[in-house]
Amino acid sequence: MATSTYLSNPSLTVNAVDLSDQTTSATLTVKYDALESTAFGGSSRVYVAGLGDHELTVELFMSYAATETYATLATLVGTATTVVMKPTSSAVSATNPSFTLTGTYLEALPVIDATLGELSSISLTFRGGVYTAATT
Amino acid sequence: MYTIISPRIGTPGDKFEPSEETNVEALIEGGFIKSDKPSTKSAKTEETSPEE
Repeated sequence: MATSTYLSNPSLTVNAVDLSDQTTSATLTVKYDALESTAFGGSSRVYVAGLGDHELTVELFMSYAATETYATLATLVGTATTVVMKPTSSAVSATNPSFTLTGTYLEALPVIDATLGELSSISLTFRGGVYTAATT
Repeated sequence: MYTIISPRIGTPGDKFEPSEETNVEALIEGGFIKSDKPSTKSAKTEETSPEE
């Protein structure tokens, strides 16, 4: 099978803090601006890569306890930080690569998102930064 | 250097060597690590009431 099913253990660290046990979803999108390079004589539009414009969106349970979600993020909003994701919490390898955004910007932090009868969770978006993938 | 306090960073009690990109101030403020450097603040003196 060519599919990946995530039952429990993708790994997320934000500024070196492991928040995996508070994370319920994460999407890291690697994207480069498409610069059109079509010229006379071309029969189809063609593009080359411009600037990288990567983005990580995550859903986290909110916790105000010591060294939990709020303590990790409160001082990072409005700054650039480093986030690392892995498919599993195991060591980095060819089958468990790590994906890093260095210098990615956390623009907003919902400090409270409360609904009666539900666990509080927040959605974050880390924008920009330098993307690297590692297998060792 | 720094010592790990929270298991979210590593093993508590171990030394923490931040990478160049790590926001150390945020980790200290969040209670994840502590600095091993001695405080540079001068010792406080207790205020005493003037003798009558």
